[in-house]
Amino acid sequence: MISVENLSVNYGEKSVLSAINLEIPAGSWTCIVGPNGAGKTTLLKTLLGMHPYSGSIKVSGVEVFKDLSRNVAFVPQRPEIPMGMTVIEYLALGRAKLDGWGREKRSGRLLIQKTLEETQLVGLHKQLLTQLSGGELQRVLIARAIVQEPDVMLLDEPTSALDLHHQITTLNQVESLKNRGVTIVSTMHDITLSAMYAERIIVMREGKVLLDGPASTVIHSNELKMAFDHGISVHTLVDGHTVIVANKIRSELI
Amino acid sequence: MTAIFGLVLLISCVLAVSIGPVHLEFANVVRTLLGRSSGLSEQDRTLLLQIRLPRVALAALVGAALATSGAVYQTVFRNPLADPYLLGAAAGAGLGATLAITGTGRTFTAALPIFAFLGGVLAVLATFLVAGKFFSDPSSLLLSGIAVGSFATAIQTFLQQRNSQVLRPVYSWILGELTVADWQSVKWAAIYIFLALAILIRISKLLDGLMLSDEEAFSLGISPNKIRMVAVGAATLATATAVSVSGLIGFVGIVVPHIIRGITKKATNRALLAISLSGAAFLVLADLGARTLISPAELPIGVITAFIGAPFFLFVLRAKRGGIQ
Repeated sequence: MISVENLSVNYGEKSVLSAINLEIPAGSWTCIVGPNGAGKTTLLKTLLGMHPYSGSIKVSGVEVFKDLSRNVAFVPQRPEIPMGMTVIEYLALGRAKLDGWGREKRSGRLLIQKTLEETQLVGLHKQLLTQLSGGELQRVLIARAIVQEPDVMLLDEPTSALDLHHQITTLNQVESLKNRGVTIVSTMHDITLSAMYAERIIVMREGKVLLDGPASTVIHSNELKMAFDHGISVHTLVDGHTVIVANKIRSELI
Repeated sequence: MTAIFGLVLLISCVLAVSIGPVHLEFANVVRTLLGRSSGLSEQDRTLLLQIRLPRVALAALVGAALATSGAVYQTVFRNPLADPYLLGAAAGAGLGATLAITGTGRTFTAALPIFAFLGGVLAVLATFLVAGKFFSDPSSLLLSGIAVGSFATAIQTFLQQRNSQVLRPVYSWILGELTVADWQSVKWAAIYIFLALAILIRISKLLDGLMLSDEEAFSLGISPNKIRMVAVGAATLATATAVSVSGLIGFVGIVVPHIIRGITKKATNRALLAISLSGAAFLVLADLGARTLISPAELPIGVITAFIGAPFFLFVLRAKRGGIQ
């Protein structure tokens, strides 16, 4: 679905991504983890086609920089909140491309209605975006991406501003999209959550991919610890679940 | 909804050509405008068709240009306080006009609109050159606009100091004036302003995409910086043209878009056509006030736009806030 070959990105003289090779199968969830500044967000934006790059990125066989019409949705970590815009107007924008930037179509309106229900936003559709809570806003961002009917959804830290309960509801939402065949690529700081939801984890550090493999293998790998300068440790709880925590809180947990 | 704003504009125009130091009968005005015979004397006919009508047409064009450009700048810079003069267009046009006024002979005075137009466009270009990175960093663009504007104003002030006899005409130009309106200036303003407005209204839905983050815009198939370039280019063309024929009329570019967004309850640029029509109606009525309030003398139109606009703006803001609570 997404194949990346020998990808490099530079900001001026500085290399931010180098020699990246990935094969991301359709309908899977891949999570990119790594310390701050590892190049996770840059990789995500490059997959979207926003940065000039060398090498090759193909989504469904088409090179991304050649094709702005491809169906890739993006959920940003820090969205712009347009003043005076309501939830329903925002969702309608997500639909605009599929309607050819012309008059809204009936099919689009129906999908927006369905998505509002699915994301528990029904009563909020006339609310201004500026009046929403963090959890509601995140649901709106994902709802906007859903109405784009994307083949691929890129999410940049979808849970970073959310409490634990909303983290789970948001990730469940994304999981149900994956189950419908959407290819998911997300960055996430919480490795435990990454391992719970994603089939695959990519570990990055300093613009390079250290390890790329099934989540269950990656979380027990030495590369993961190396990426975080051995500041994390992996524990298996009595119920069999694995948690990854910063070393400092290890003693309290056990 | 848009039809209502069109109707308001039409009524404002007919009112504005009827009322003045010489009152023209409303029914006769309508009949003359529709090309039918009417009870107007030859003198009144000339007054209507050669003096009032071009002036009203020019006010409408300038109002539409400033209101639409203001709305577009607010979208492009994601800043509700952005106005059409933000990138130095006003200061550049002011410098151009001062150069024309201080220049000797009638040729320069006649060329004032061209000087003002070029001044405005060149100042905006200078702002982009100074900022260097175009839209990758909107705040550096805004700061460059301030720097270029201050620089142009400094030269303008210097020229005024050296030629104190021009203080009065320069000052009256800065406050805005539509007194020199004739069909010639209407014609050339109409060409540029209609072209710019057509472009902006054509891309209005794409402008909506600019209200989102660049990543989201990209995922909607929009190349944000390309749209910004086109939008700012067209808005600058409209603004520079408006300024060149009317001087600096403030407040329209901020007040009208906010009021219309308040009325239509649409944050998106779908309200852009309504904003154009209302900007036109607003300035036609403001000019009517400028001509008639202390008739037979005239007030600068910029005074009227601020005098009516500021309280009305505050009223709308308060009402909007009340509505939210």
